Amino acid sequence: MSDGFRSPEDETVGLSRTATWGGLETKVSYGPDDIASVDYERDLGDPGSFPFTRGSFPQMYRSRMWTLRNIVGYGAPEDTRDGITRSLAMGATGVDVAVDNLTAEALDPDHPAVSADAGLEGLSLPSLRDVERLLEGVDITRTDIAYHSTMLIYPMVAAYAVKHDIPLDRIQGSHMPDHYQLTLSGWGDKIMPADLAQRATLDCVQYAAAHSPRWSLGLPQAYDLRERGLTPAGEIAFGMAITMQVLTDLAERGMGVDEVAPSLAWVSITDVDLFEEVAKFRALRRIWARTLHDRFGATNPRSLRLRIACHTSGRSLTHQQPLNNLARATVQTLAALLGGVQSVEACTYDEPVCIPTHEARELATRTQQILAHEVGAARTADPLGGSYYVEALTDAVEAEALKLLGTIEERGLVKSVRDGFLESLMDEHNYTHEREMAAGERIKVGVNRFAPEQDEALPRFKVDEGGVERHVQRFVELKRTRDQDALAARIADVYSVTRRGDNPTEAMMDALIADGSIGEVWGTVRMAMGHPYDPFRVLESPWEHSA
Amino acid sequence: MNTVRCVLGMLGTDAHTKGIRTLSRIFRDAGVEVVYLGEHNTYEQFAASVAAEDADLAGVSFSTAGYVKHVDALMRALDEAGVDDVPVMVGGLIHADDEPRLRELGVSGIFGPGSTTESILDFVFSSARSNTEVRSDTEVQTDAHDPTTGRLVKSQDQV
Repeated sequence: MSDGFRSPEDETVGLSRTATWGGLETKVSYGPDDIASVDYERDLGDPGSFPFTRGSFPQMYRSRMWTLRNIVGYGAPEDTRDGITRSLAMGATGVDVAVDNLTAEALDPDHPAVSADAGLEGLSLPSLRDVERLLEGVDITRTDIAYHSTMLIYPMVAAYAVKHDIPLDRIQGSHMPDHYQLTLSGWGDKIMPADLAQRATLDCVQYAAAHSPRWSLGLPQAYDLRERGLTPAGEIAFGMAITMQVLTDLAERGMGVDEVAPSLAWVSITDVDLFEEVAKFRALRRIWARTLHDRFGATNPRSLRLRIACHTSGRSLTHQQPLNNLARATVQTLAALLGGVQSVEACTYDEPVCIPTHEARELATRTQQILAHEVGAARTADPLGGSYYVEALTDAVEAEALKLLGTIEERGLVKSVRDGFLESLMDEHNYTHEREMAAGERIKVGVNRFAPEQDEALPRFKVDEGGVERHVQRFVELKRTRDQDALAARIADVYSVTRRGDNPTEAMMDALIADGSIGEVWGTVRMAMGHPYDPFRVLESPWEHSA
Repeated sequence: MNTVRCVLGMLGTDAHTKGIRTLSRIFRDAGVEVVYLGEHNTYEQFAASVAAEDADLAGVSFSTAGYVKHVDALMRALDEAGVDDVPVMVGGLIHADDEPRLRELGVSGIFGPGSTTESILDFVFSSARSNTEVRSDTEVQTDAHDPTTGRLVKSQDQV
């Protein structure tokens, strides 16, 4: 065309895909025949009634609004405190604290091989002294802090409580004690060998559920598994396999399902395929309730009704045209609410570029507030229930999930973690995804279609590196000046308790109170389990242990 | 020999493996011999593998913000291991602002968000060290390739 405009055909939005984002084929339309086998009482039930397909609570968001969460975590504890204060001021009702990779992997910030990562992607929290800096002035029996971390977090908060004379049964908050998913989502054998994952998960869940009933345990942590490469049905299968393994192992330790399950919350994800995610949340609650009832004999309604903590997908966001991510996160958050989750943390649009800026975090909070107060997403429980399509899709997700769960059960979870079977399924998923993207069978706006000629790079959030340096120096100084003899005795306890197969949680808490660091305490547990003190094999334990 | 031998892996505490694991498979499909070191390598361990495997090319993926520091340390480790002639490519969440600094440090291929499989493979086959040896009579095309000009057809987690 002479005027230089592109032809209208180039701009047409045609249907690019008839399968869901997770790969389930769909029909042109759905009708009564597609849900003929659905029995209301048996398969759906009213909200708050078994099998909880339509929601875990009778009044849903009228009796308890979802917890509107905002994720915070960068630099030294003082920096993150500042971020928490800002979040609460803009209307968040719960705070998610993200720790840096070193803290998440129980490595000290002065570790010679990895110190470059300290404080970069989250908060550096290597000692109980740092927990005290983070929580200064915070009432941990009232403030709902969700720690996005697995290792050492419960022992650290519990140690804080003991040190400050707060009864363990009064502490509030949550963390994610699912160590299996760490092995599966990139931590591998070096950081989290399968046997250690099994043992550490059990020890933590057993102790926390028994001593801190108000502390929620985010298990399974299915979010990272989805991000690593799973469909919604795969999320249910992997997560249920982990849950069932934990419940079975705890039963062997004499802990019944109704003593554990009320403390559990499913850490889930909401991706961009709205209907499929809604179907997933519904199918998930049904599978959970039936499995815990039929297979484990749970009778407590608090065991049977699943609580779901949800985060929008970070993987779904694009570095290209990052403002598009606002649209993605909005739809994802809506899916979570229509699916009846108990808390939502919406990703910020700039997450693919940097850790969230304050402006982006405010937008993520406002998105949820608009959905809550203007859109009416919370008004009525299970608003899509009874839709021919959504009920049929719920059944389809459920069927696929149960099929994969059966395969994993047959092979055995721990074996399937150890021999790479589960990782190979996720690799396969990612490979297919990549191939579909390359072939244009799966369209990502701004990435493989509708890409701009020029894309401006976003400004990045800058962590105050000087602050992190001072934090690390302070940490090194603590290691030098603490009571070394007292610590050595506590570390010896951690080693011997772990070695003889008892639950080391309390010994770990005592070692933390004696100013042992996360790297030291966890390294000792690793050694007692027959693994190298330092996963990088650079550091040696400062203490000698007799076998 | 014509087969390109490429060491791929991750450094430090970075655990986001899906990109590089997918890339490993795409490389293998394309006939590249991949030595996948996995995650959580130190600079020295990575460099030692590059030397021991007699690699023609080394690739590292990053999903965390500290990559400039990591690349700096890795290049020094490669130097100390006597394999500073092995071309290094990096990918993942690389911010455009950092590209000049990465080039300065000696990185020859940078594949941030939006890089295409084609552009990455082009780089692999044109830059690998074995080509230098085999085609010593022809000009080596290291750095002749601009990875940012390809059309955007890949997801952000490509590398």
